[in-house]
Amino acid sequence: MMSLEGKVGPEWSFPIDESKVREFARAVFQDDPTRVPPTFPAYGTYAYERPGLLAEAGLDWTRVLHGEQEYEYLGPMQVGQRLVCRSRITADYEKEGRRGGTMRFIVQETEMHDAETGELVIRARSTMIETGRTL
Amino acid sequence: MTGLEARFGPITRTHIVRYAGASGDLNPIHHDEIYARQAGQPSVFAHGMLSAGLAAAWVGERFGMEALQRFSVRFAARVWPGDRLELRGELEEAEEGLSELRFSMTRQDGEVVVTGSATLRLET
Repeated sequence: MMSLEGKVGPEWSFPIDESKVREFARAVFQDDPTRVPPTFPAYGTYAYERPGLLAEAGLDWTRVLHGEQEYEYLGPMQVGQRLVCRSRITADYEKEGRRGGTMRFIVQETEMHDAETGELVIRARSTMIETGRTL
Repeated sequence: MTGLEARFGPITRTHIVRYAGASGDLNPIHHDEIYARQAGQPSVFAHGMLSAGLAAAWVGERFGMEALQRFSVRFAARVWPGDRLELRGELEEAEEGLSELRFSMTRQDGEVVVTGSATLRLET
């Protein structure tokens, strides 16, 4: 396995627009469709990061689990904002699992800055796990 | 310590597809039954981030989006179509203005699907 630890991806950005916020809010059963849902940054990664940093990891996606997810809210997310993002791999290692065989853990950290003010708004940390066999 | 509870679901395939479209996470294992079976799963299953999203939105609406300083989850088991989820949380006493909320979400069969915590800055 070639570890991706330390690898930094290209910069990208995404808009926080009203209709997408409304759609996302509805998808997470949020009553107020005008407030930006706390996990909205997930959209900015899945829909806009091209190619994803994990594309080079050579993962078999049928065996990949989302292990953990964390968001730090360092500034307000607002409709009309554009967030400029950059990701890096902060950990990439293998570990023997009880059920899953040899498991590969990859931690990706993404910082999202307000495009106008440059303020750091979100720090996201996601841990993906490739299991040795289907769980 | 304050106890909190919320219930969600049943989570349907429509909820899963709606989340896939809203989030842009179009991994076929969450909406393509044939693909999911070929990958060794009994059926499609919900994105972990759907459960996380439900919990985060609920916390945000309960305490105010501005209060939320940090939110984290660990995914422990899958959520299948038809599952009902129950969130139970404990809000700890504030320290230096910040309160920790620890929570878990369980399926109707008692299996824990998500554990997590949130750091809140609550008005006193």
